[in-house]
Amino acid sequence: MPETFYDVMRRQGITRRSFLKFCSLTAAAMGLSPIYAGKIAHAMENKPRIPVLWLHGLECTCCSESFIRSAHPLAKDVILSMISLDYDDTIMAAAGHEAEAIVDETIAKHKGKFILACEGNPGLEEENTGGMSCIIAGKPYTEQLRHAANNAMAIISWGSCASWGCVQAAAPNPTGATPIHKVPGIGNAPIIKVPGCPPIAEVMTAVITYMLTFERLPEMDRQGRPKMFYSQRIHDKCYRRPHFDAGQFVEKWDDEAARKGYCLYKMGCKGPTTYNACSTIRWNGGLSFPIQAGHPCIGCSEDGFWDKGSFYDRLTTINDFGIEANADEVGMGAAAVVGGAVAAHAAISALKRTQNKGDHES
Amino acid sequence: MTTLSTKAHSEPAVYVYEAPVRLWHWINAAAITVLAITGYFIGSPLPSLSGEASDYYLMGYIRFAHFAAGYVLAFGLLGRAYWAIVGNSHAREIFLHNILKPSYWGGLWHELKWYLFLTKEPRKYSGHNPLAIFMMHWMYVWGTVFMIFTGFAMYGEGTGEGSWAHSLFTVWLIPLFGQSQDVHTWHHLVMWWIIIFVIIHVYVAIREDIMSRQSIVSSMISGWRTFKDEGKIDND
Amino acid sequence: MSIIQTPNGYTLDDSGTRHVVDPVTRIEGHMRAEVNINSDNIITNAVSSGTIWRGLEVILKGRDPRDAWAFVQRICGVCTGTHALTSVRSVEDALGINIPENANSIRNIMQLSLQIHDHLVHFYHLHALDWVNPVNALKADPKATSALQQQASPHHPKSSPGYFRDVQNRLKKFVESGQLGPFKNGYWTNPAYLLPPEADLMAVTHYLEALDFQKEIMKTRTIFGGKDTHPNWTVGGVPCAINMDSDMSAGAPLNMATLNFVHQIIKDTKTFVDNVYIPDILAIGQFYKGWLYGGGLSGQNVLAYGDIPDRANDYSAANLMMPRGAILNGKLDEIHEVDHRDPEQIQEFVPHSWYKYPDGVKGLHPWDGITDPDFDVSTAKGTRQNIEQLDESASYSWIKAPRWRGHAMEVGPLARYIVGYAQGHEYWTEQINRTLKTLDVPVNALFSTLGRTAARALEAQWAADMQLYFFDKLMTNIKNGDSTTHSGEMWDPADWPAEAKGVGFTEAPRGALAHWIRIKDTKIDNYQCVVPTTWNGSPRDEAGNIGAFEASMMNTKVEVPHEPVEILRNIHSFDPCLACSTH
Ligand code: HEM
Ligand code: HEM
Ligand code: NFV
Ligand code: SF4
Ligand code: SF4
Ligand code: F3S
Ligand SMILES: [Mg+2]
Repeated sequence: MPETFYDVMRRQGITRRSFLKFCSLTAAAMGLSPIYAGKIAHAMENKPRIPVLWLHGLECTCCSESFIRSAHPLAKDVILSMISLDYDDTIMAAAGHEAEAIVDETIAKHKGKFILACEGNPGLEEENTGGMSCIIAGKPYTEQLRHAANNAMAIISWGSCASWGCVQAAAPNPTGATPIHKVPGIGNAPIIKVPGCPPIAEVMTAVITYMLTFERLPEMDRQGRPKMFYSQRIHDKCYRRPHFDAGQFVEKWDDEAARKGYCLYKMGCKGPTTYNACSTIRWNGGLSFPIQAGHPCIGCSEDGFWDKGSFYDRLTTINDFGIEANADEVGMGAAAVVGGAVAAHAAISALKRTQNKGDHES
Repeated sequence: MTTLSTKAHSEPAVYVYEAPVRLWHWINAAAITVLAITGYFIGSPLPSLSGEASDYYLMGYIRFAHFAAGYVLAFGLLGRAYWAIVGNSHAREIFLHNILKPSYWGGLWHELKWYLFLTKEPRKYSGHNPLAIFMMHWMYVWGTVFMIFTGFAMYGEGTGEGSWAHSLFTVWLIPLFGQSQDVHTWHHLVMWWIIIFVIIHVYVAIREDIMSRQSIVSSMISGWRTFKDEGKIDND
Repeated sequence: MSIIQTPNGYTLDDSGTRHVVDPVTRIEGHMRAEVNINSDNIITNAVSSGTIWRGLEVILKGRDPRDAWAFVQRICGVCTGTHALTSVRSVEDALGINIPENANSIRNIMQLSLQIHDHLVHFYHLHALDWVNPVNALKADPKATSALQQQASPHHPKSSPGYFRDVQNRLKKFVESGQLGPFKNGYWTNPAYLLPPEADLMAVTHYLEALDFQKEIMKTRTIFGGKDTHPNWTVGGVPCAINMDSDMSAGAPLNMATLNFVHQIIKDTKTFVDNVYIPDILAIGQFYKGWLYGGGLSGQNVLAYGDIPDRANDYSAANLMMPRGAILNGKLDEIHEVDHRDPEQIQEFVPHSWYKYPDGVKGLHPWDGITDPDFDVSTAKGTRQNIEQLDESASYSWIKAPRWRGHAMEVGPLARYIVGYAQGHEYWTEQINRTLKTLDVPVNALFSTLGRTAARALEAQWAADMQLYFFDKLMTNIKNGDSTTHSGEMWDPADWPAEAKGVGFTEAPRGALAHWIRIKDTKIDNYQCVVPTTWNGSPRDEAGNIGAFEASMMNTKVEVPHEPVEILRNIHSFDPCLACSTH
């Protein structure tokens, strides 16, 4: 029998006590009650490592970079002891056709039993890029992606690229970048989205740990995101929220309010419309998150966050009316036009009325 | 002058707006006023206050007023819809009217001509005229329904998973729009849609009161429509 | 079949057997290499192709220049932040914005964190497997490994035989599980691996230690920018306000507690680089110092823009702690000044790239640059969506070909160190001399794959010291009563001129990086990035000059032609970033 996660940890000189501690930390990271620590421990003690193919499309590799910053579990432990990362062209030793052969080998050996982790997305634009804005082994990435997806047990869409399209899909989307779930012919494997640009490291590792421990996908919302990390907005748990409620806002960079940590709403903070765990789990081992460092949330885990106008505007920029404006500008403009029309109408009405009166009187 | 006032004495009167409609109308108007003002300040808050957060709750109160008025608006509309079923025929007009009836469109056209100064006489209606119905149905009723749906969808984001607003509205409405920010934007835009309705509505109500052949503003207070001449009533 | 003499001195002969490596792995992004190998196993023709393009320059058009940093930051998550910094500098340049001293110190600390992190991760997690054989580490004697460790780095505490035995056991179980994961299909029997098992075990151990430690380095940026990767930046300063002692200073992003944390991270980083990274480079270098291939263009043409301004807002060469200059034809005694604004100096060409210009052959200065995709492989072997062999005489890459005064240039840590060495940069010269002496190799050894790999480590060491310098500078400035972090100047687009243009530059981990921006009516009119890997990985230009990647593969001897470990070594030594190169 292949060695289990627990075996590996024991071999490594880790005591049972610290192994159990690891399990409860993992449970805590997933927002689970401590009783689950036992369940996680049991799973870790008994399972061979699950094969993972981690494919890269159009992307910036930041999701991988985020992943390796996970504090608990450590990326090292995930890679060496929890999963079998059979293919990941960013770190794998093999290259060229030796690397490509692994995709087929894994599919042959573990059909329907491996996890496909997608970072980035394929570009489907044909006219200028020939569907070849991302080429793997001479072929469009789309081919590798479909091949793996159609044989996978489940697909993880890492980050906003795989989940929504992200920056390369921002208008005018010159490569036709398309999120994984919208790629034609992607098959029927369940897709779990872990959006964020990038997602929080501990969220990424927790999603994997959850799947290994409970042998199922975490509960997801209608958009396919795990509820445990994406059911609340940044704003709901933001530590600056009391200042929001009080009406205390940063008005300009580095003003007195900024130095006191007031709310960044007026600086364009998208916390009220952004579903992510930044204000709870926080970043880099729970150290901080964008708002804590004084910058408004730019909404990086939301669909299409690139195309809503400046990150520093509270109100969305609407481009659909030919001119660029926000809701107040559009609305006030329209109201002014209507108000003007009403005033003109009133004036004419009054004029007509005096005329009519004259008619009557004559 | 004398002729007119003599005629006024002989005006027939019709009971049009039953008490619940009138009461609803003014409460609704108040709620929308509160919603528009607080909504605007939710979108663009007042200048920042200084000091400790615990000393103030300004944004909290503004939002509270918005949500309270939102409930009033929503339950008001529900109540009004109920009255459309049990009340008199005029109570139904803004919700349901027969758009297949040629006379509706003819009346609408006539009313438009009246506003474009192309005809000298408006027609006489005991209830709303067809143009008023058109505006109230499409701008007001649907506008308000939109605000209630999007409003409670956003409200449910705050009350969270498991809350009725979340289960009833948030879960399907946010994905339908794409994401939360888009819902905010549309909610904000449609506020102006409703404000525009109100501008037109109030102007027209007062103008008609002066210029048309029937009482208008006082009708929404007393319930009685009185007529300024004895010509036949054009609706039904 | 043809033999071509390139203007930059290479003889390209495509008569031998063609080998394709696609994907080139352990790099950022997607890349393809093709080589012709003759009967003596020597590479006689090399072709490198960037196989990913996303169109950021197209996407940026019409957007708010104050937002550009966030878009371009997503050009790359590995050199995360350097594009953002370059971007805010370009906007500040265009609008004439001066940033506060504190913002300059903080930006420098962030940028230096990136240098260290990127170099460290590159060496251990991308490059090391070209030199280190994890399977061979199983044969090591943990006791001997411990002795080697204590000799290589006496101050590193993790050095006991038991520690190495544990790691070895973990490795053993891992290998025995039959699930080799990322180590699967490596060239573990290739004779090009020269380390004794003890050195392999030490290096593999540090592969894991470095993987654990690297995440700490970037925590400085989590404090200043809220997260890493992709921290937040701001035109006009930094987003993190400072408040040392008022009644609400705990609410400030920067206060005594958070700055103490930053200080600790910087010190730990320095310790790790000094005790692990540098000793490993020297130890591994000892065994491979006979392997001096892959000089690329480093012995001829190198280019550095300079970075890390000492005082804020002064980007003149004299004020930059990383030097600026261009060297041509290996003439170290003649350093040319580099001017980003001069339309004659930096130009991009596309005759061998999948883009079109209205005038196909002329180069364009980035202020007038055009990005117009035009994928075409009609003359390649295979089909449009199944390329068997690229045709390097036609278009063959998504990378453009930037040139400095018409020359292909190498950029990167080695280029920087060569420019610094030539200019007599005191700290760097001392480091170089010490390294050459320790390894007992001549100066010429610098111009190689190993030289590139060593320069990166030396630079990480320097950067760690510089972080301390800027931390002290920040604290002194605050002590002197200046807590400003943002200038506020020109934040409001209403104050902007109708038209403006600017250029921002940095030394990214992989080399010279600059962004050119044109602003019109408060929106981006044109935005062009010329990126380190665009320089190094560039295809041929109109004149036929080959870029640094191709040059580095040329004339290298390959032990086993179908196991391209030497190709990987040479290419990896540049730390290619393909998402960057094409953007
Ligand atoms: C005519 C009716 C209404 C008007 C004119 C109105 C107006 C507004 C406006 C302008 C905003 C600011 C949007 C933004 O820029 O983000 C807003 C926000 C909001 N409205 Fe309304 N609204 C109306 C009805 C409702 C109703 C019925 C509800 C239900 C409770 C509601 C709940 C909300 C919520 C939850 C927010 C977001 C508050 C926040 O983000 O803090 N609104 N409204
Ligand atoms: C927020 C502000 C207001 C809204 C949303 C509003 C909405 C409405 C609606 C929906 C009706 C149709 C009533 C029904 O048949 O159920 C109505 C009728 C009426 N409203 Fe308003 N109203 C507003 C303010 C006002 C004001 C300020 C006045 C007085 C100056 C006014 C005068 C009237 C009158 C006179 C009618 C009856 C019109 C007729 O008989 O055709 N309304 N209003
Ligand atoms: N080439 C490149 Fe970068 C770097 N270093 C960017 O400027 O890597 Ni992603
Ligand atoms: S989601 Fe964002 S961070 Fe992740 S790869 Fe895409 S651009 Fe990079
Ligand atoms: S800083 Fe942003 S997320 Fe936090 S309370 Fe203010 S608006 Fe909400
Ligand atoms: S910008 Fe992204 S990282 Fe979190 S605070 Fe906002 S979702
Ligand atoms: Mg470019």
